[in-house]
Amino acid sequence: MASEPATTVELELEQEQRLVEEAQQGNLDAMRPILERYAAPLYGTVILPRLGDAASAEEVLRDTLATAVEKIRRFTWQGKSIYPWLRQIAINKVYDVHRQSKRSRRLADAMVHEVAVETDPASHADAQLIADQERRAHRDRIDETLQQLQERYRSAIELRLVQELSREDCARRLGVTIGTFDVLLFRAVRAFRKHFGERAELPRTGDT
Amino acid sequence: MATQDEDTLTGPVPDPETEPTAAELAHARRFAELVDKTLSGRTPPAMSADDRALLEVATVIRATRGNLELAPGAQHAAVEDALRQAIGTGPQGAAPVTSILEARARLRRRAPWIVAATSTLAAVAAIAALWLRTPGGAAHGPPVAHRAELPLEWTSRSADALIGPIARDHAGDAGARLDAIFADRLDGFRGFHEFRARRLTRGGKP
Repeated sequence: MASEPATTVELELEQEQRLVEEAQQGNLDAMRPILERYAAPLYGTVILPRLGDAASAEEVLRDTLATAVEKIRRFTWQGKSIYPWLRQIAINKVYDVHRQSKRSRRLADAMVHEVAVETDPASHADAQLIADQERRAHRDRIDETLQQLQERYRSAIELRLVQELSREDCARRLGVTIGTFDVLLFRAVRAFRKHFGERAELPRTGDT
Repeated sequence: MATQDEDTLTGPVPDPETEPTAAELAHARRFAELVDKTLSGRTPPAMSADDRALLEVATVIRATRGNLELAPGAQHAAVEDALRQAIGTGPQGAAPVTSILEARARLRRRAPWIVAATSTLAAVAAIAALWLRTPGGAAHGPPVAHRAELPLEWTSRSADALIGPIARDHAGDAGARLDAIFADRLDGFRGFHEFRARRLTRGGKP
């Protein structure tokens, strides 16, 4: 899983601190293990869920990592992982994309707002905790929204987008034609977007 | 199309049992094909704003369920580009950033030696230049034309012409031969000084 950095690579905090210090002294290549370690969690749990577009998310990831390398001297080690700092850079980049985009991005805006309210990276020292919490927060939001959909719409999304079954298999499971399943999925995604956007417009006190 | 986009994104969503219109059927099929392409990892072509917005919903759902992870190649490219961008070189496709960084590191390590070698070479060149400008140094390469203008007795020359072959029975007369050579050199020395004295008397250079 992309969101389990601490379990997939044994990069201790001390080693991370040493690499950061090396980078701050001018050896930028010392940033490589850190970037390699956190690129996937940043992409999978911070950037992509807020943008909803893989190509844009990769660009934002690239910008995020480049900014991190450029500004590494400004980073102050406080006995915690560098991940919250990287995450904040990524979120700022996502905001920039939303600001620059003239299209309606109701869903992504909602993700940016709600998850930013719920997660407090500064309270955690461990990158894995932050990534896990963020992933859970995203998932809870999605699940809560799915629960508000009609049964057939929820099933259409579950089969096609979560289980990633083929259109034919989805149609067979629901006992409809492929054309009808296409309509179900189309409406289901529209409904999901509508409900999710409405949730985001609730008062912030209700989101905590 | 703006009205249709507006309806798709913000209009009411019919119940599952509601019969779709022909337009909705066509739109649903188009969206299904976009989802197909996205799920198979192919970047969909240009699409309308409402289709894009809906596809983003699908992508967010998939990403949240862990179905969308960063490909190793994309991760590698992102890291390389970030490092390359930070050290101010060209875009991806240029020399690998590792080699650039290694080259810089090598240069940093060798810098003291390079400075020392350059300084040594400069010092040697300066000493050589000074040595060539000294009179001793100049004796190695004076112009031949100047030597030709001097009288024979003023020049450095072999004593063979003065002494000639030494017969065996006169081999012991080395003192006489030295006296002859000394007298010849003394004669040349005096001639040279007389010449300088005459030039000084005429106001010429010594």
